[in-house]
Amino acid sequence: MKQVVTSVLGLLLLVLGAAASPAAAQEDTIAKTNLKVGDTAPDFTLLSDEWKPVQLSDYRGKKNVILAFYVLAFTGG
Amino acid sequence: MAKIEASDTVVLGISIDSPAANAAFAKQIGVTFPLLSDMNKKTLIAYGILKPYDVKGEKYEWAERTTIVVDKEGKIQHVQQGGSAVDPNSAVSICTDLHEKHTK
Repeated sequence: MKQVVTSVLGLLLLVLGAAASPAAAQEDTIAKTNLKVGDTAPDFTLLSDEWKPVQLSDYRGKKNVILAFYVLAFTGG
Repeated sequence: MAKIEASDTVVLGISIDSPAANAAFAKQIGVTFPLLSDMNKKTLIAYGILKPYDVKGEKYEWAERTTIVVDKEGKIQHVQQGGSAVDPNSAVSICTDLHEKHTK
């Protein structure tokens, strides 16, 4: 009986471990961009929070641009 | 951030949120720069920073946290990703350097 309990427990740990690991591994991997320093930044036109289109190339010759990509609104960081 | 906006640099926030969500978020955190909406994920794909996530067995994709500095010629000057990209200080110092380079 004790052996059965141990093996069930072992199986449970194995299942839990398997379920937990992909998520953990995922957190560690970074979707690394192929863009390098010196590359031309791909142009884009996106809607602002005021529903106005903003194009990256509008700033060409005028301003430096910091692109701050964030995960989701209302989340930390 | 206010300091850097005052010079010749603009900040653009980008995520997959809708403009409506970004408007509410901007109000909540009090940002003065635009928050852009990449709802069709085209820009995130072009920049190679769309990341798959698994939430309770369902697959989702949203942005990897990334800071990229683009100079006035449209060239990338700085790329920072992951947890370290939360702190904008290095991006800000790059822009200050760029600013000084142009004004000298």
